[in-house]
Amino acid sequence: MIRESYKQKSENELVKTSLEGDKQAFGEIVSRYQNMVARTVKGMLGDSVFSEDIGQDVFIKLFHSLSDFRGEAKLSTYIQKIAINLTLNEIKRRKRFFSTFSQKGNNEMYEFEVTDNETEEKREASEIVGKALMSLDPKFRIIVAMRMLQGYSTKETAEILDLPLGTVLSRLSRAQEQMKNILRKL
Amino acid sequence: MKIPELKDLILRSLDKDSDPEKESAMLEEAGVTWKFSEGFHEKVLDTIFSAGDTVVRKIEFVRNLNSVFYRIALTGVAAIVLLMISIFVIQGSISLDSFLGLGDSYDESIVYLLTGN
Repeated sequence: MIRESYKQKSENELVKTSLEGDKQAFGEIVSRYQNMVARTVKGMLGDSVFSEDIGQDVFIKLFHSLSDFRGEAKLSTYIQKIAINLTLNEIKRRKRFFSTFSQKGNNEMYEFEVTDNETEEKREASEIVGKALMSLDPKFRIIVAMRMLQGYSTKETAEILDLPLGTVLSRLSRAQEQMKNILRKL
Repeated sequence: MKIPELKDLILRSLDKDSDPEKESAMLEEAGVTWKFSEGFHEKVLDTIFSAGDTVVRKIEFVRNLNSVFYRIALTGVAAIVLLMISIFVIQGSISLDSFLGLGDSYDESIVYLLTGN
């Protein structure tokens, strides 16, 4: 019953009550956006336990920076930016780690958690997209993840990533070329 | 969805003239979606709010420590003031010697007290 009343609240109301220490209000924010964050983080990093940790960090960072949210942009955009920043930091960290300690590429980090009720076809689809994304250059991967997994338009992607529209368009076209080659091999 | 169809859909979704929302929904329908594991929501809230409790407990501890410190400090200052007043009343003046309890003693008597000669 109480949970239902939180579902009716607007983003700004939830932010305000979360700032007052209301656990359920922040819980509602997590419920609303956890799938969006999962698509970004897992799309960029792969479906591994590390992605779950980054996902957690996204919401922890959001909680601590809620007072900075002025409500000028959508809360989803604000969360998406945090998710992208943390994911890119993790990619950089992995690159450093692998270049220092291992010859293996970071694609090795990719694991699939297959749930029992997933059909073989769906599992395969998810695996192909996951592998294709992980083979893309990270600067293209983020553009593709935003568009393909989140359904953002080019303009929205440019806004979220703070990039000029032309840059997003040219990266998208290059990503498409790279993706063609990758998919041919899969 | 068959694999060749899926590959087509992936490439189509990257076309600048495509409708990303529609293509993304189609991919999701085909099984291309990722979710966090069960219990993610609870884990996040527990991490955030148990850390919050720790912060509150720390603040309370510091606040209590401050009030205890002030009480001890005030008692100490009051004791020193009383001691100085009593010294002034007994000795008629306040000096380092009287403060150390040597106000009435002559040098010889101190030597006698220390050496026994």
